[in-house]
Amino acid sequence: MKMISELILTAFYTVFVQNLVLSSGLGMSEAIRVSTKPGTFGRFAVMISGFSVATSFFCGLIDLVPAETDRSYAVRALIYGAVLAAVYVVVAVLAKFVFRASDNLLGSLGIAALNTLVFAIPHINNSAAYSLAGSVGSGLGAGIAFVVAATLINRGSQLIAENDEIPEAFKGTPAMFFYVAMISLAFAGFTDKNIFG
Amino acid sequence: MSNNLSFKEVFIKGAVIFNPVLVQLVGLCPVVAASTTLKSAVMLSAIACTELIIVCVIASAILKSIPRWARVPLYLVIGLLLICPVLWYIETKTLINLSLGMKIYIPLIAINSVVAVHCEQFAVKNSVRLAFYDAAAVGIGASVIFLLVGTIREILGNSSIGGIALNLPISFKGMLLPFGCLIILGFMAAGLKTFISKRHPEYLEVSAPVAKKKADKAVAEANEPQPVPVEVQITEPVETLKEKIDEPKTDADDIKIKTEAEIDEFLRSLGINLDEKGDGQ
Amino acid sequence: MSNNQTKQKTVKASKLYGDYLVMLVAPIALSVIFYGTRALAVIAVSVLSAVLSDLIFSAFLRKNFLLKDLSNVFIGAAIALMMPAGISLYVPAVASVFAVITAKIPFGGSLRAPFVPAAAGFAFATVCFKEQIFDYSYNSADKLLGNHSLGSLLTQGNAVYLDTINTFDILSGNVAGPMGTGCGLLMLACLVFLAFRRKEALFATAGFIAACVLYAAVFPRINANAFTSVVLELSAGSLLFAAVFLITDYAALPEKRLTRFVYGAVGGVFCMLMRTVGTYEETVCFAVLLANGFSPVIDSVVKKLPSAVKAVPFKRKEAEK
Repeated sequence: MKMISELILTAFYTVFVQNLVLSSGLGMSEAIRVSTKPGTFGRFAVMISGFSVATSFFCGLIDLVPAETDRSYAVRALIYGAVLAAVYVVVAVLAKFVFRASDNLLGSLGIAALNTLVFAIPHINNSAAYSLAGSVGSGLGAGIAFVVAATLINRGSQLIAENDEIPEAFKGTPAMFFYVAMISLAFAGFTDKNIFG
Repeated sequence: MSNNLSFKEVFIKGAVIFNPVLVQLVGLCPVVAASTTLKSAVMLSAIACTELIIVCVIASAILKSIPRWARVPLYLVIGLLLICPVLWYIETKTLINLSLGMKIYIPLIAINSVVAVHCEQFAVKNSVRLAFYDAAAVGIGASVIFLLVGTIREILGNSSIGGIALNLPISFKGMLLPFGCLIILGFMAAGLKTFISKRHPEYLEVSAPVAKKKADKAVAEANEPQPVPVEVQITEPVETLKEKIDEPKTDADDIKIKTEAEIDEFLRSLGINLDEKGDGQ
Repeated sequence: MSNNQTKQKTVKASKLYGDYLVMLVAPIALSVIFYGTRALAVIAVSVLSAVLSDLIFSAFLRKNFLLKDLSNVFIGAAIALMMPAGISLYVPAVASVFAVITAKIPFGGSLRAPFVPAAAGFAFATVCFKEQIFDYSYNSADKLLGNHSLGSLLTQGNAVYLDTINTFDILSGNVAGPMGTGCGLLMLACLVFLAFRRKEALFATAGFIAACVLYAAVFPRINANAFTSVVLELSAGSLLFAAVFLITDYAALPEKRLTRFVYGAVGGVFCMLMRTVGTYEETVCFAVLLANGFSPVIDSVVKKLPSAVKAVPFKRKEAEK
């Protein structure tokens, strides 16, 4: 019971209190790009959560192995990166050769696995000293946070595209920047701190 | 793309007209999250630019024959192998005091969308020389934005520049948060758009949904049945007329081809193609 | 033409913001009664900053500047009323400029702005000048809790008991807090006026207040009964002011009654959630912005609902066959 509540609380924290995409900027480019394809949101939520949880799990296990000296951040990043790449390769090989996944799905796998959001999750778990349940919660929360961000941006981009009153200089990407900025400002109401201080 | 392009042409397109951050909306993570001071911006831009050039050249030289889905993780691995030793050196052998944020954000550059998008969109489809030109142009374009944003945020948010206190009467702490950066980027993108509309109006950016709407409208208009003339005088034999009707190319096709090319251009500018990073072959 | 565009062309900004300004007369008068000419100075600086920034930016963008649409006056006045009377004058000025140049102009004016500019301006000021925004010490020695606001009382989570006298003090705004938004009775009067002028907008207000009441009753932040918790939460900060003036903003309001209620409820839940787990004492403007962001999502989800509901029995019949 304690583990489940920890998992839910961490996921809630990752989605709202410190929305990793909108409050921390992690995976923001991918969220904006994916936002143009609302039909893929469910797929991305599952994939990002899956990759985040798997990577966190293996990185957590490696962190448990005692090292002679404290690992520097460079070494840690190298290990986490290798784990993420390995997890992606295994999943992609399975998808390609066992499940005969379409090229489109493989493309989505690449975006879902290899982005700053998923890569940052093991670092966040490490710096926040999350337990296993907390790590799983932050991984699940990352997927949900990504889709929340993509959904909000998707609707915003449609509003902007329909708006013929926007001054010429602000049409397109400038208005999009302001739209995302306003959502990000709204999330700043939960916390005034950056995730890594 | 033609292999005869000069660096100047590639530079203007890659760094200015299709600026990776302001137009293509890639590489937002390091600029939004980490470029809060001039010092951090210098460090991030130097590492990001160097890494981008090396990875793009390697991708163009030796990764072309590998399927896309397998190529993408290699960008991460190569990037980390380049960045982590530098970070390790800074951490252990120099007196530079990196913040916790920078220690985590610097390795994240290896997985940055700028690298993946430009390796996949350009480097693996072109010669090493052009890949180098493109990576250098894009790297410089992104670095300039990193530096400008870092400087503005440090001045407004910390009331200092390069760590030297300016003692301004007011500082805006909010500019150090991601929304502050996005607002600066919004104004910079508006400025760039105004510049492009004056100097290079042929590249004027139109949002993808608007472009698509225009394209659909143009095609629909061209396909609309034309009013039939009341009196038609047939002067040609029926066979000749039939041939003319069966001709594959019509005005509507012309418009469609033209607008599709237009959309492709905008897709590049807005980065809405999902398959860039790694769909299989 | 989209529904959104059609909607915007059926309303006149001057009428809309004229109504809001009529409603603001009473809170402005109350702020002057409580804080004297200082309140007028804050309001004047805020309004002037909003008008001037729009004038300069419109000239820069070569757009027509319309003072008569009154939106800038409303933005400036609303931001000022949510601030403490003793605030440095540059704070409301900065907030108003921010509201106009980032939340209004880039989206083509107040009637097309997807985020309420006044909420954006105040939220920005909260992030940048947190200490000043929540310093209610100016002229508050003879108030109910001295220079402590209801927000800070709720944050401490102590046991609280209300009697008839201090309940009236709280509802009449005789507590340290924002200079023009604390009087619940006045806000009620504004709500009645709004009901006569734009009753459709009240669905959002109803959703907002209902969500806040429910949340405050179920999850009280203080050691008190549900009634006390609800009265204090509603009276703290600018919650009621936002429920009347901000959440009803025309451009961000969804189209249907149900969606408006849900939109308001989303804002209410976020407001209370931020008060509970967030770092700021007053979070209503952030919640309004978040509700604005969710507004088009709510609209599209509710639009899809009827077809989804219709599809369920149809699928059942197919399965039975």
